Amino acid sequence: MPSRTLEQILEGRRSQPNQLIEVLQDVQASHGYISEEAMQAVSQGLGVPIMEVYRVASFYTAFRLKPSGKNVLTMCMGTACHVRGARLLMDQATGQLGVKPREVTPDGLFSVDHVNCLGACALGPIVTENGTYHHHMTPSKLRKLIDTLSRQKAED
Amino acid sequence: MLQQVNVNIDGANIRATRGTTVLDAAIEYGICIPHLCHVPYLSSISACRLCIVEHVVNGRSNVTASCTLNVEEGMVILTNTDKIRRLRRNLAELLVAQAPNSRAIQDIALRCGVKEVRYPFRNDDCVLCGRCVQMCTEVWKARAIGFVGRGKERHVDYPFGIRPDFCKQCGSCVQLCPMTIPPCDGPMKPGEEYLCRKCESQLMLADETPDHCVWCKLGESFGCGRYVGIKS
Ligand code: SF4
Ligand code: SF4
Ligand code: FES
Ligand code: FES
Repeated sequence: MPSRTLEQILEGRRSQPNQLIEVLQDVQASHGYISEEAMQAVSQGLGVPIMEVYRVASFYTAFRLKPSGKNVLTMCMGTACHVRGARLLMDQATGQLGVKPREVTPDGLFSVDHVNCLGACALGPIVTENGTYHHHMTPSKLRKLIDTLSRQKAED
Repeated sequence: MLQQVNVNIDGANIRATRGTTVLDAAIEYGICIPHLCHVPYLSSISACRLCIVEHVVNGRSNVTASCTLNVEEGMVILTNTDKIRRLRRNLAELLVAQAPNSRAIQDIALRCGVKEVRYPFRNDDCVLCGRCVQMCTEVWKARAIGFVGRGKERHVDYPFGIRPDFCKQCGSCVQLCPMTIPPCDGPMKPGEEYLCRKCESQLMLADETPDHCVWCKLGESFGCGRYVGIKS
């Protein structure tokens, strides 16, 4: 992934406070998360008070303020998936990995996330693993998936 | 030149300056609309929703917050209908449930007719009124505090949770916070979810003349428009 430095992202957008969200999106896309330093740099570059940058970055779930794990498991918690038992999947993942939603395991291998609809409601409940969709998920399928992923990582 | 407009609030024909809000116009005229997050010299963010009124347009009424509704020629406003009273009481009840440990919140709840609270107590220390944030932003231009997170997680904080060196330590955020007024030692505790109503004798008036200004503690300490008017 061609990752751009903060300098490159801010290039041509300095002192344009209205670019805040776009810039944060770019930082998120190329760095995977938005660090405190990145927010400070964005604040200075765009001339937006740091409080404002932090407020916006902490408001949208699309922005992560901490690095994510190697494997990102995203549970769909939308209405359709919810009625089909997304809660159980979330409990399975958080229980098995011992983390809370939007947290990373201490070994940095997994992070568990939730979203409100992935647009594949008919196939729910949906879990995505690093962007790959798994449909009709059940707690036991999810347990196996997590087991496989942790074994893979242990091997390489 | 300041333009004047005619508005009708609760049947009273009021002349108000264009650009003022319905809430300010009503208070100036002597009609008290309960309000919590509004501070006379700060711009309103309509966070508490206590100041709701009915705005009648072509025979239909919209319920809306009066602190961000600007006066317009020919406007018809009702501040004291059954519907508004019911909604307002409910809003105040939720505020008390969220943060019962403040005299200011107790007063305003009583003022809105709350006698008992049907919701579980959360004992929070913030009602997210945003007064502190507006103060810091507009008066001190410090922007040292602001809202962080969303939904359940929304709270007031410093950037990254650490007091920045550009905080002027002026303390005005704390002064404006309704949570800093200690609660009376009457009930209003989990298990006894009702107001003792022994507060100030004045507040007893709330029973007899519901929805009139009772010169509440909240107004006094936070510069409600009426108190401010008297001082200046
Ligand atoms: S004490 Fe700091 S945070 Fe509070 S209003 Fe003053 S500058 Fe803002
Ligand atoms: S800290 Fe106080 S003034 Fe600030 S939002 Fe919370 S209750 Fe309101
Ligand atoms: S609710 Fe899960 S994909 Fe729509
Ligand atoms: S005073 Fe209008 S919403 Fe709080």
